[in-house]
Amino acid sequence: MRLYKKEGNSLQILSAPNDDVEKGDYLIVEDAMVNRKLITQVIDVQFASVPGLLEELLRDSTTEEQIYGENFDPLGVSSHINNIQDARMLICKIRGTILNDKLRVNSSWLPSRSKSGITKISINSLLAHARGKEDLSINIGETKDASPLNITAHDLDGRLNIITGKKGTGKSHLSKLLVLGLVDYRATVVVLDLNGEYGGLGFSAKGEGNKYSGRVQVLTPGANFRVSLSQMGLSVILKIMIHALGLPGTSTREFKHIWKTLSQQRKFTLQDLGDAIRKCSCNMHVRDALFSRYYSLVNSGFFTDDEESATSFEKLFEKTKKDGGALVIDLKDVSSVDRQIVLEYTLGVLVKILNQWKIKSVFLFAEEAHLYLRETYWEDIVTRMRHFGLFTNFVTNQPDTIKENIYRQADSIFLFNFTNERDLETVSKAARVDAETVKSIAQELPPHHCLLIGKAVKDFPVMVKVRALDIKTMGQTRLFFTDNQGSSSHPNYAYN
Amino acid sequence: MKNIESSYLQPTETPLNQPATEHIEDATAIMKIQQPSTIKTIPLEQSSDEKPVVGVDVSSIRIGETETGILCAIRGAIVWKEKKRYKYQRIGPFPFHITEQNKNEIYKLFRNHHFEISEDPRAPSIINIQARIGNLLERWLQLGISCSTYDAIILWDGSMTAGMADSPVEEMSRLLDIARNRLSIVLAFSKNTTLRFSGHKLTDYAEKSEPPCLLQINGFPLSSGPMLLLGDVYVAKLTPGVCSFRLDIDRKVPQERGIEAVQSLLGSDLLVQSYPETLRLAHIFSTFTATEVIGIQRFIAHQHGLKIVTRPNVRRMLFGPFGKGAEG
Repeated sequence: MRLYKKEGNSLQILSAPNDDVEKGDYLIVEDAMVNRKLITQVIDVQFASVPGLLEELLRDSTTEEQIYGENFDPLGVSSHINNIQDARMLICKIRGTILNDKLRVNSSWLPSRSKSGITKISINSLLAHARGKEDLSINIGETKDASPLNITAHDLDGRLNIITGKKGTGKSHLSKLLVLGLVDYRATVVVLDLNGEYGGLGFSAKGEGNKYSGRVQVLTPGANFRVSLSQMGLSVILKIMIHALGLPGTSTREFKHIWKTLSQQRKFTLQDLGDAIRKCSCNMHVRDALFSRYYSLVNSGFFTDDEESATSFEKLFEKTKKDGGALVIDLKDVSSVDRQIVLEYTLGVLVKILNQWKIKSVFLFAEEAHLYLRETYWEDIVTRMRHFGLFTNFVTNQPDTIKENIYRQADSIFLFNFTNERDLETVSKAARVDAETVKSIAQELPPHHCLLIGKAVKDFPVMVKVRALDIKTMGQTRLFFTDNQGSSSHPNYAYN
Repeated sequence: MKNIESSYLQPTETPLNQPATEHIEDATAIMKIQQPSTIKTIPLEQSSDEKPVVGVDVSSIRIGETETGILCAIRGAIVWKEKKRYKYQRIGPFPFHITEQNKNEIYKLFRNHHFEISEDPRAPSIINIQARIGNLLERWLQLGISCSTYDAIILWDGSMTAGMADSPVEEMSRLLDIARNRLSIVLAFSKNTTLRFSGHKLTDYAEKSEPPCLLQINGFPLSSGPMLLLGDVYVAKLTPGVCSFRLDIDRKVPQERGIEAVQSLLGSDLLVQSYPETLRLAHIFSTFTATEVIGIQRFIAHQHGLKIVTRPNVRRMLFGPFGKGAEG
């Protein structure tokens, strides 16, 4: 391999066809004279532009189609000619330099073109240069050179992460892997499970209990997840009324008044709230508005007057404090209005609990959050709630539903395959990587392979094949044309 | 090219712009038609008598220089059309390292191998030897074709002018005799001709002729000094278009048979711009592309452990963008 050209932070390296280099690989350009190394990543492999190649190919294409013959080449020169035809140009991005064995993020240095040696470097030895805290490792899978790739739980702690990719590429699978990885280190995780996919985390592929059985709790709104009005402060119920149920301003003022009166009287049943609205000496329209919201609350089935059966996050978190655990809020069969009620409540209570330091922090995994999180929540979650200890991981197959400023603030992105240019354009707005890398590598990622970008990999984008998990597959698409024999008898490790 | 006594290889600059050397054709002598002559148009008709058509061409190219000499490569191509299918055989590329010390040996080896004459030749200068050994290879391939084909049309790239160092009269006659004895006829097409008639280029006379036709030029001297024309000279305009070519047909073949052979060619081969496809393909298959030149340079450097160095271009250093033309 020979250094050919440098433009900005892009490098072009001429490579022979038998050099084992592919997209995503890292190369070290070493200038021994100055004891300096340049770290570059291959983002594209192209054919080298060789003069006269077009004539060559045109001649050969004529040969192949209409003319038959043979070459008498006793010296074997043809193999060298073929080598030239197949010569490749590696388009690389400079990721940093190593000076005296110390890694620096600097691409201004230009190594010697004539004297530099270029070699491939394994991901792990590369990351070893940048390694911070080594403990609390989470194995993500394996790199292209078949060595395991670990990130650490520290890489998710206090961070905003995005898992994105097109449908069926393995986003939810990776999300589950991260959830269990965090639970392993006794973290508290809340999963907003839109499709009922996370319910199997506590079971092996064969349906038996696994080591997470006692630490994964599925909360189904209206069933085993119901709350009482007394658990809610005014701020939480107001968020539900305003944001989930769209209560207008005048009616909100009246509702505040009613709520304060009830709280003074310590009357927090649904019945009491209904009576208070009925007796309220307010405008008829306001009363109607309040009643319609009241019945929405009642009909959601999410509220109960039975304090005993009401779910208390505080109690649930008491359990997870010791051994860690995941609370999976199953939103599969919940209507969109009820889903927003549940979410407004959940996030409101989480912030309240975190604010009171009842738990240190919570890792929130939100699948397709745009379907239930209101616009104003995005920035709130990313900026304000992070300081309370709510660390969010967004999982989506529609990257344009996440705002650009969120990409810019994302600490790590787990990018699966996208073929659509527009989707890649959106993701490429992430501040931690250049657009070319995203577009070039992500388009060719096979299923279950992802490109890790950001702090989790010390800002060295890495391609990884996500490892399989021994968990029960849930939330699979129901198919009409299924091979019953094939599917039922092989409860293999899951990639779902 | 067993050993190269050199430590470096200076590649030929911009190989794409360096045309491969045409063989044989360049050796066409400059002959003037001195006595009054006439031009006769012979209309042609496509013959249904399909015959095998064989074309041969050789290219050579300068690959670079070493401390002691030059590096060049030659390659030959034979293309034949039989039963509506084109087939080819490429021979080479053969790289040569030619020095003042080995040039005689190489030249003698080629010449003695190809020609039956025993005179001890003097090798040309290093500058010209590349073209010479290319010509010798082409004669050898032509000999092979003459010996191996029967009742075929053999196409040469160039003329039938004999009497030069790489086209001795005896050898050229032998090539034609062998072909003739095997009922084959040699047709030699020259893309460029230096022959002029009344001040005009010979091929210009075919501009207004209705193709397919031959223009028969009468009154050519058979010889000029050591050079001898072994063929009757015609201008061939075989298809509509602007191109016409000098065509030499073996003089010892009766004229009618020669014309029949051209008519057979019309029915046996594809002709584009009056030029036979078989010969065109032979040219294409023998010619070196820039990629191949780089590949051969790599091969030599790899086989003989030579370091490729690029010497500064004096012309460019002195004249910058105004330094055009050949180095020197």
